[in-house]
Amino acid sequence: MAAAPECPSCGVANPAGQAFCSRCGGALGAALRPLPAAPAAAGDPAAPGGALAATDFRGAARRNQQNTWRLIIIMVVIGGLLGYLVGAVIESAVRDGQGAAFDPFGSAGGLAGAAVMLAAGLAWTVVALAWGDRIVLSLAGAREVGEDAEPVLHHVVEEMAIAAGVAKPRVAVIDSPALNAFATGMRPDRSAVAVTRGLLAALTRSELQAVVGHEMGHVINLDIRYGTAVGIFVGLIALVADGALRILRFGGAARGRDRRRGSGLLMILLILFAILAPLAARLVQMAISRQREYLADATAVRLTRDPHALIGALEKLGGSSIPFGNANRAIQHLFIVNPFRDFAAAAGALMATHPPLAARLARLHALKG
Amino acid sequence: MFGWIVLALVGGAALYGVALYNGLVAGRNQVGNGWKQIDVQLKRRYDLIPNLVEVAKDYMSYEQETLKQVVEARTMAMAARGPAQASVAEAQLSGVLGKFFALAESYPDLKANQTVTNLMEELTSTENKIAFARQHYNDSVMAQNNRVEQFPSVLLARAFAFGPHDYFTIPESEIQPVKVDLR
Repeated sequence: MAAAPECPSCGVANPAGQAFCSRCGGALGAALRPLPAAPAAAGDPAAPGGALAATDFRGAARRNQQNTWRLIIIMVVIGGLLGYLVGAVIESAVRDGQGAAFDPFGSAGGLAGAAVMLAAGLAWTVVALAWGDRIVLSLAGAREVGEDAEPVLHHVVEEMAIAAGVAKPRVAVIDSPALNAFATGMRPDRSAVAVTRGLLAALTRSELQAVVGHEMGHVINLDIRYGTAVGIFVGLIALVADGALRILRFGGAARGRDRRRGSGLLMILLILFAILAPLAARLVQMAISRQREYLADATAVRLTRDPHALIGALEKLGGSSIPFGNANRAIQHLFIVNPFRDFAAAAGALMATHPPLAARLARLHALKG
Repeated sequence: MFGWIVLALVGGAALYGVALYNGLVAGRNQVGNGWKQIDVQLKRRYDLIPNLVEVAKDYMSYEQETLKQVVEARTMAMAARGPAQASVAEAQLSGVLGKFFALAESYPDLKANQTVTNLMEELTSTENKIAFARQHYNDSVMAQNNRVEQFPSVLLARAFAFGPHDYFTIPESEIQPVKVDLR
């Protein structure tokens, strides 16, 4: 019953546990009701919003976390296999020249290739973690704003940071009439949240809070770090696969005469793998991205304890058809809804960064119930 | 051989114990930090209220009683110590503030004043921050109390006196909708 108290003076629905109306600041009838906080819900199933606070979104968060780890393992296996095949093919070519015996499934060169691949992925990740976030804000055309310029936005961001128990992120605004928002930052204590001017104008205070809660979810769930790490592996796999195909085209033609059965099989495997691996890696990356969107939605509800606000905000975002001029494909996965409408239209597709809005709304309605 | 196995088991148990102990310490610190966060916001609210009352006085001459209640509730809340006491006093303050906000609705002159609008936004945000800080504090308390009461960390908690912490809750008697008398 206290899920969304309506403001007696302006009729706007407000988050449970909030003492004053988000829009007009009027007192809510529910002002003194306890928060549907987890402790109350754990002992007392009749507590307002109890079922939601106690299990639902925490369970959702845990499942998503597990899925993400599974997908990352798949990614590492793909990268390792590719490295192994490249190493094994190189070794077999060398041994062919020497006339030595060669075991395609226990190749030292293959193991070395896999190790190099994993080490390169790790090194690249470290570099990106240290310097990656600074580029993102400028890529999106986001400008940092002070508290006196955007007091409400600053307040909302600070409120969500308090709810999440992390330092307040930097606050930036994108000069675009489109409705969108994103977060960046490799560490929860050094992050930034950016929203568009259009978003500030179109959403109510509690809807803005839900959107910022979603972005805060990306920050505290370390999505930006995961996303960067996975993105790097995708890039690396594509790079190595491309290189392997090039080498095979030249090297294979030159030594085509005395190829043995073992290395021939390896060669075919490598060709197949070099073609398929980048595609598979890309699919996995997009699947991770979609999982993290669901998780960020669940986190937004955990922070605001108000699924209605996020539902309202997502509906407004989905209903808007204002194009986003500053969008950049390299950072499309960071936004709350995909800024590219062509992708969003076919969001059920395997290559989509975000789940279809209808699916996200359905999950939120399920949380609410 | 047998000796090595025993040594490994003991070593493993010791490491596990250290990890548990560190978890308890981290949890206690998080609860302490959560409480400080609430405290910061409560202080901010104490600072904001006199300013708002000062400006509102000129417009709401008929509401001296409400304004007096706000000031009194603030003084009482400032004197409260610890989560249990503070819960009651803060609930009272939130109540009269709510009444004040509702009354302010019926004074167009007051709402037109830019200073008042800014102060109201500040106070609304501070009220939200208190609510969110309390939410975070209660979540931290629950996590820590679970650690303190669950096996096997309960053994360490008993040995090193990690007590369960108080929730920041609002007593049932304080939970009633604010009555607004608009005359």
